[in-house]
Amino acid sequence: MNQELSSGFTIAANAPIAVALAISALLFVIGLVGFLCRRNMIIMFLCTELMFQGAALAMIAFARLRMDVSGQVFVIFILTVAAAEAALALALVVLLYRKRETLSADAWSDLGES
Amino acid sequence: MVPTIFYAACAIAAAGLALLLMQSGSKFRMGATILGLAGIAWILVIVVQTIPTPASEIGPLGLMILCAFVSVASAVRVITHHRPVFCALYFVLVVVSGAAIYVLLSAEFVAFSLVIVYAGAILITYLFVLMLAQQSPADIGAADAVDYDRIAREPAGAVIAGFVLIAVLGGSVFSVSEQKAESILDQNRAIRQGWGDLSMMPKLLLEQARRTDSTVTAVIARKDGQMIAVQTDHSAIISVQRADQMTPSDLTLAPSLLPDNTSRVGMALVTRFPVSLELAGIILLMAMFGAVVLARKQTDIADDDRRELAGLGKVMDGSQSIQGKAIR
Repeated sequence: MNQELSSGFTIAANAPIAVALAISALLFVIGLVGFLCRRNMIIMFLCTELMFQGAALAMIAFARLRMDVSGQVFVIFILTVAAAEAALALALVVLLYRKRETLSADAWSDLGES
Repeated sequence: MVPTIFYAACAIAAAGLALLLMQSGSKFRMGATILGLAGIAWILVIVVQTIPTPASEIGPLGLMILCAFVSVASAVRVITHHRPVFCALYFVLVVVSGAAIYVLLSAEFVAFSLVIVYAGAILITYLFVLMLAQQSPADIGAADAVDYDRIAREPAGAVIAGFVLIAVLGGSVFSVSEQKAESILDQNRAIRQGWGDLSMMPKLLLEQARRTDSTVTAVIARKDGQMIAVQTDHSAIISVQRADQMTPSDLTLAPSLLPDNTSRVGMALVTRFPVSLELAGIILLMAMFGAVVLARKQTDIADDDRRELAGLGKVMDGSQSIQGKAIR
């Protein structure tokens, strides 16, 4: 793509890829913060999806860097796992909601050792 | 370069996010938003500055930065909004801008499957569950929302943990990028791989050959055993059988006939990762079973017998049990 960059860098050899990697790190961290902060169980799982997004974006960026489609194939598998996770997690949330009539994760804090 | 400036940018973005998450922060909402956006913008500027950009890449870079802002800002809204339905809708925005970034990184197939699977399927599931589980009045202010949506759990600690992570990650990238190393962004390698993928797809290869020369009847292996010989100008030479000739002759394929992203992803999926593909199918099947088992009404096996002894109807049939009670 650009021979003039031959003096370049191992990671993030061109700017769009570097920006994509920065976004992926930011998305992952925002998802992490959301998972730790929010107390609504559904939103907590939505935040795990945000983290999935961050990871998938990093894979696409490195696939572009290496000019190799394996990274993209991996993102398809990530999509699969995310779909399976969403189905199971939401079924669990519905189950938990029926038991305690609230979506708050704090309602289940008595599950820990006490 | 010591990435002190990068750490400072991270700290500013973190402060903005923490203020947005704190309940008392609603007073400084405007200031916190500006602070957070400034921090993110600074991080992006530092990242872009570190790498020399040729003029041909300014356009994609600008689009990428636009998408970056949309995506990160709506991600922040996902974790700060007090109404879960709006969180889910902002997540759709994250997904769509993410798909735009994928297209800019020339991963078209994954971009569209992302929109279909995430925005189309997963988010609808989330919205369904939200509406099943949450009955809140139509328009409520931030003050009237349910407690667990209004008050964040230890925002300061979480934000510090998150942005220490990003500072460390970013710092390590900076320390690596100082070392002189050869660029691995290699166009020639990509072209070779593209032609190599095409040589494994005989039908597509024949089609492309016919597109170049309509008299071609078959593509045969070259004398050196390879199907395709890649030239330095990124075109490729194949050996073909033509309708009006007895002996095979050479045909040059232009680089525009390289297989597109979708066929390359499909090829990689079935040739390099067939087992993973099967496993993905099994995971989906098991997830479906699991969801059905979890979402069913859970009853004890002995429950029905005990209710029968007490003269009540079965658990599964709600109306009958109520009738039973009414009669006795």
